[in-house]
Amino acid sequence: MHLYRCARWLILLAAIVCFALVFGWYKFFREVPQPAFANEGERFKYGSIGAENARGIPYWIWLVLPRVFPDLMPGPGGYKSFGIVWEPGQEIPVGFSKRTIGFPRIANNCAICHVGTWRAGESDLPHVVIGAPAHTSNLQSMIRFLINCAADPRFNADTLLGQIERETEFSLVDKLIYRFALIPLTRSALQKQATQMAWMNRPDWPNWGTGRDDPMNLTKYFMTSQPVDNTVGQSDFPSVWNLKIRKGDGLFLNWSCDTPAVRSVLIDSALGLGAAPDPTVPLDTLNWRLSRRAWFVARMAELDEYLSALAPPSYPFPVDAPLAAQGRQVYAKACASCHEPGQPYTSRLIPVADVGTDRNRMDSWNQAAADQANQKVLEIGIVRPGLVKQEGYQSPPLDGLWMRAPYLHNGSVPTLRDLMAPMDRRPKAFYRGYDVYDPADVGFVTAGAAAERDGWKEDTSVRGNGNQGHLYGTELPAQDKNALLEYLKTL
Amino acid sequence: MAARTQAPTPSNHCCRWACWGAAAVLVVFLLWAVARFTSDAPVTYANGEDHFKYGSTGGERSSGIPYSIWMALPELFPRYLPGKGLQSLGFLYEPGRDLPIGVSKRKVMGIDRVFLNCAVCHVGSVRDGPDGAPRFITGMPSNTVDLQGFQRFLSAVALDKDFTGDRIAAVIEGMGTDDWLNRELIRYLGVDLMRDQLLTLRQMFTFMDDEPVFGPGRFDTFNPPKVLLNFRMDNLPVAERIGVCNFPSIWHQRQREGMELHWDGNNTSVDERNRSAAFGTGALPPTLDRPSIRRTEDWLLDAAPPPYPYPIDAALSMKGKPIYAEYCARCHGASGTDFTGELVGKVTPIDAIGTDRHRLDSYSFALCVNQGQLYAAYPAERFQHFRKTNGYANQPLDGLWLRSPYLHNGSVPSLRDLLEPASRRPASFYRGYDVYDPKNVGFVSTVAGEHGKAFFPFDTTLPGNGNHGHEGRYYGTELSDDKKQALLEFLKTF
Repeated sequence: MHLYRCARWLILLAAIVCFALVFGWYKFFREVPQPAFANEGERFKYGSIGAENARGIPYWIWLVLPRVFPDLMPGPGGYKSFGIVWEPGQEIPVGFSKRTIGFPRIANNCAICHVGTWRAGESDLPHVVIGAPAHTSNLQSMIRFLINCAADPRFNADTLLGQIERETEFSLVDKLIYRFALIPLTRSALQKQATQMAWMNRPDWPNWGTGRDDPMNLTKYFMTSQPVDNTVGQSDFPSVWNLKIRKGDGLFLNWSCDTPAVRSVLIDSALGLGAAPDPTVPLDTLNWRLSRRAWFVARMAELDEYLSALAPPSYPFPVDAPLAAQGRQVYAKACASCHEPGQPYTSRLIPVADVGTDRNRMDSWNQAAADQANQKVLEIGIVRPGLVKQEGYQSPPLDGLWMRAPYLHNGSVPTLRDLMAPMDRRPKAFYRGYDVYDPADVGFVTAGAAAERDGWKEDTSVRGNGNQGHLYGTELPAQDKNALLEYLKTL
Repeated sequence: MAARTQAPTPSNHCCRWACWGAAAVLVVFLLWAVARFTSDAPVTYANGEDHFKYGSTGGERSSGIPYSIWMALPELFPRYLPGKGLQSLGFLYEPGRDLPIGVSKRKVMGIDRVFLNCAVCHVGSVRDGPDGAPRFITGMPSNTVDLQGFQRFLSAVALDKDFTGDRIAAVIEGMGTDDWLNRELIRYLGVDLMRDQLLTLRQMFTFMDDEPVFGPGRFDTFNPPKVLLNFRMDNLPVAERIGVCNFPSIWHQRQREGMELHWDGNNTSVDERNRSAAFGTGALPPTLDRPSIRRTEDWLLDAAPPPYPYPIDAALSMKGKPIYAEYCARCHGASGTDFTGELVGKVTPIDAIGTDRHRLDSYSFALCVNQGQLYAAYPAERFQHFRKTNGYANQPLDGLWLRSPYLHNGSVPSLRDLLEPASRRPASFYRGYDVYDPKNVGFVSTVAGEHGKAFFPFDTTLPGNGNHGHEGRYYGTELSDDKKQALLEFLKTF
């Protein structure tokens, strides 16, 4: 009799536990695949790289933050005001992915740094180029915005839900979940990020500005236990098209040849964007081991395949063909040995003493950090050629060069014409991040009221922004420079 | 426990019955309270046109003004109105109705609430002469309603120290429009809530104070959506700040599907355009009354303007037909019902059309992409068709005679003036008068006032009000006077 009663209670208890588990799984962990994308390009722009699990922000919170905190934004225009690429008719900007894991979440993907735009004039619409550096995006400003939101007393359930409910109807259960779980958890996650990012907010510290981040310091402080040091390494987002010509024995990627293989760059960047499992959440680590890792590795292989074949954009303005043909001769003599794929110095390390460019980016990375980062990646079960430490800068192929302005690793030289000018004739300061193109000098427009309104002022006297070095070709006769400039448009 | 073993006594019986009784009363009361406070019922209309004029878009659910307060305000605050009642702001009242055209009513949480609907901007009035009776015409641009004036009236009320629960409740008691409970709710809650809401709105819409006064028949269409998205209006680029334009006509929507809609042609979906406009009636994605707005949309698909009611010189009009075909049809359609034409519903670049560019510039690329998030919770309804354009869209000319004053900003009073180059168009004129001028084809624009009502002086030299453009060889302004006269006559047939 007693046993029977006990069993009844046990069954009831088991039923409650089962329900709680299923309910919890459904509301917090149930993974809904993203809807199919029309093509790989769309998937590159909006597809998940797996960052939603560990670093996804609840979609509705993300959606209303610019509306709740307009005073913390750089200007009117919601997330567009950070300069990020956003295509008309799309629910989310390029470089964001929306995916339901229990609840809809938003995270970033590769496209946040590697899709760029150009316009022929102020009244033109942005032409979106996949694989181009996101030269208009001020990611640091966006990160700071999120952190500032979390620090603000208005980041509370009443305020956020009040705004969210102007957009959607929540069930009572979802309202409670947001009020008591997602809103406080998101806030504390962002507050934690504030601590993790404190190094970039030191007084008088150089800003990244548009089109740049501090990649090796980000890697160092997020993937390794290296202490915060005094280095700055702000550098331009590179183009990521045509990766096939960047593959081969002895070829390197990343500005300081920090990575010996394309696949490693993809993996490390995606892990850095949040695809890595959260080591503080055992369940997330378990999920990673059981399923996400295999998915992630496969996704990286697909991305590799897509980006390897992705063609660089062709120059959209007229080219003087005979002049370009002359320029080709100049290129063959003056540039090809370091920049033509297959040539002995292309995609290889040029010692900093030779190239003479700003050494801060190179100095922001070190061997110990490389070793630790490699160890961390190995620990989560991913085998890839590891990061290295080198003393110099990479000599990249120049495909799609016109869309890669401003130039040098730190974007310190606005146009190709300026790059061919001697040091003292390069602009000391200019506005970057405005996407109207300047076919005369080959680069984006960097002066004038509109450039000042949309752009960010890069001051080359700031530490890490030096525009010195790479004086190759600066002593060519003027007509050779013109011809070379014309030819470079065709790459 | 002891009670269980005791035999029931008469007093016990009584107690039990009393308890049951009390419980029953409580249940009935609760049912009543639930029914009352969860009520959500619009006033409905059997006739499609009445539904358009008075039907709800759902806006009252979140933005509704208690009906009693709406009725009380003009009585209590006549000092903030230019004349008697809301009529003085150009609101149109049909005989026997207590609410003007364009105001809908819905019982929400036991209180009748009212708010604007589509018709407030899309029903106008026509009179044959100063003594004629007004004809209210659905689908034409409202030519009399001063919405900005109405907004300013509400703001002034919200700031007035006499806008108190006690005052309002006293008036309501006199009107007998609400029961005791609602009256007390309005007295102690409703008025304060409404004041907060109005003051918030006032704060959000201060950007409008920097625009030229709208006057009747106009509003700023695409700065309010920025407010809706909480953009920092104080930081808006200067070029975007003036967006005032005329209300359009909204007939023949079926034929407009796929055309570039809005003055600058920024959306090709009639449905999206409608949901976008519904924000102006207070309807948010969760509160939009979908069946109701669908009914309005369906009714508008084939709604048609009334024919020109004054004599037309048939012979002269026949002469105008080939001129129209040569000069106008490519952009404006074959006739008032046949909208075929190579460029109909397409945007003409601003440099070609040359009209005032403020309205174009007020719609920004940043707003355009952010609109992609509107209705995000309802994937089938999410906005996907907004685009930034670089000009103004070529409109079909159905009911053209009722669409005066002309151009997107209503800066040219009559069709005759529109056929003149800008230098010969009136530099200033009056808007808001509903007496028709068949000679020039447009509303009378030279009269400053009537029966104490002053009309709105329109100054084309103010930013956003420019009357230039749509002129030159291709736009008919260089035609001979005879040809202009013939063309004008033909345009009356639209």
